[in-house]
Amino acid sequence: MRTRLVAAVAVVHAIATTAFAHRLDEYLQATIISVEKDRIHAQIRLTPGVAVFPIVLAGIDRDADGVISGAEQHAYAERVLRDLSLTIDGEPARLRLVSSRAASVEQMREGDGDIQLEVDADVPQGGGSRRLRFENRHQNRIAAYLVNCLVPRDPAIHVTAQRRNYEQSVYELDYVGGGDRPGPPFPGPWAGVMGWLGAAALLLFARIGLSGSATPRPVRRAGLRHRCGG
Amino acid sequence: MRTWWTRTARGVGAVAVMWVSANAMAQTPTARIVSAANAFLSTLDQKQRASVLFAFDDEQQRALWSNLPVAMVRRGGLRVGELSPTQRSAALALVSSALSPRGFEKVQQIIEGDEVLKTNEGNNPMFGKDLYYISILGTPSATAAWMLQFGGHHLALNITIAGEQGILTPTLTGAQPALYTVKGKTVRPLGQESDRALALLSALDETQRRQAVLPYRVADLVLGPGQDGQTIQPEGLKASAMNDQQRAMLLDLISQWSGIVHESAAAARMAEIKAGLGETWFAWSGPTTAMPGRNITAYYRIQGPNLVIEYAPQRLGGDLSLHVHTMYRDPTNDYGRKVAAR
Repeated sequence: MRTRLVAAVAVVHAIATTAFAHRLDEYLQATIISVEKDRIHAQIRLTPGVAVFPIVLAGIDRDADGVISGAEQHAYAERVLRDLSLTIDGEPARLRLVSSRAASVEQMREGDGDIQLEVDADVPQGGGSRRLRFENRHQNRIAAYLVNCLVPRDPAIHVTAQRRNYEQSVYELDYVGGGDRPGPPFPGPWAGVMGWLGAAALLLFARIGLSGSATPRPVRRAGLRHRCGG
Repeated sequence: MRTWWTRTARGVGAVAVMWVSANAMAQTPTARIVSAANAFLSTLDQKQRASVLFAFDDEQQRALWSNLPVAMVRRGGLRVGELSPTQRSAALALVSSALSPRGFEKVQQIIEGDEVLKTNEGNNPMFGKDLYYISILGTPSATAAWMLQFGGHHLALNITIAGEQGILTPTLTGAQPALYTVKGKTVRPLGQESDRALALLSALDETQRRQAVLPYRVADLVLGPGQDGQTIQPEGLKASAMNDQQRAMLLDLISQWSGIVHESAAAARMAEIKAGLGETWFAWSGPTTAMPGRNITAYYRIQGPNLVIEYAPQRLGGDLSLHVHTMYRDPTNDYGRKVAAR
């Protein structure tokens, strides 16, 4: 009895001190997106606070044996993926799980461990100006979201604007330069002629566009605040 | 006779002190640091030397730092609490030799704060001034690159010495409690980082503020431990849209981190930062006021071509003004990769 009491006091003390030192009542979900010409890559770091860890663990350790098996880790990663959405130029893009890594239950219980996911998606061919919209709804009652974009490695890609809602659960990124159309699949002697014909067509469209009124593209979505990142 | 002896001894002592001082002044900063490193190493036995020394390219040891207490994230090297008084003095002399007086004072205040936290937490063994680690990566040298690491809870100094260059990135500073009293004196280890940022924000006009203040919550560091070499898309107000006085205030704020390292290295770093100042951004998220004498409860970030500074108050402990983590990086040269590669 005495031993049990001492053990219980020790556990309470450990939780109290750990809680004081570390993330407590939030589930930090930090996403860093990188944009390439034909691919979007995202690194998602999920760090449960000590106080919310039991909620998070219940969603991972389905057989409640106190251990996160490989299958449970994979299933959880897929569940997180279902709570994410990505659109490119308004069209849904399928996110694929590239890898997942989880700290031990003990580390996460102490507020010291995280789950890291890497996901990617194909970018469909499109025009020069692109709009990416990323939304994270995972565990939104306890979540603290962060989402950022890396400066593109490809010098041809430029970020023109970023928008987020207050919680950072919704993120929009405008960029240019990623949608260069690939060259003709079989370039040959006609390529030069086709190029001239294309240029003539572009000039014609430009004249029509200048003289007519273009339909303005929606700049904002409800709840998102505009920020231009250079 | 005794009076004569005492006077002579004092005179010799004074001359010795002057000679040592003059000799030290004649040395370059790197020579002084190398000398302090070798003096520290000479106090260690074989086993301790094996524990404190790592290969310069030991990537695992390089990245083995955190804001968390050492009981939660293990550190490599020798724990200060394991050292004899002589070894401990030599270890701190080495750290001091690589820093400016202001930088070393800040480090001491962060450590002292952890001792206060230990006391406040009922003598919790997870905290305290004995739980800081020192390690050396490579061989202390006046020419070849090597690294000095020193840190523990709320502190991670990664100092690369490469010839006369001293690179302090990545470095993490933090404080909990961020305000405490020792012997009747109020201490705020990261008080300047808070006050000068708020002063800069207050110096902005309405249009500039609208650019600087982000309309969303930033809950934590974006580029904290484990995020080496990443450059995120900058946001906020560009320094090129500031006036001269505001830019001077921004530089003054940056110097709270760049000035931790010894003066000549800090001067070189500041020249580099000034060269990229036009492309440097200042972003703020959270309350735009603070209680007098207390730290801000807002997050801010300063980002330039070779600079990232983040200041992130922490909810843990209840009062955001009493717990803060900060990060200082050069994504192009963390751990001195740029100079070490030459």
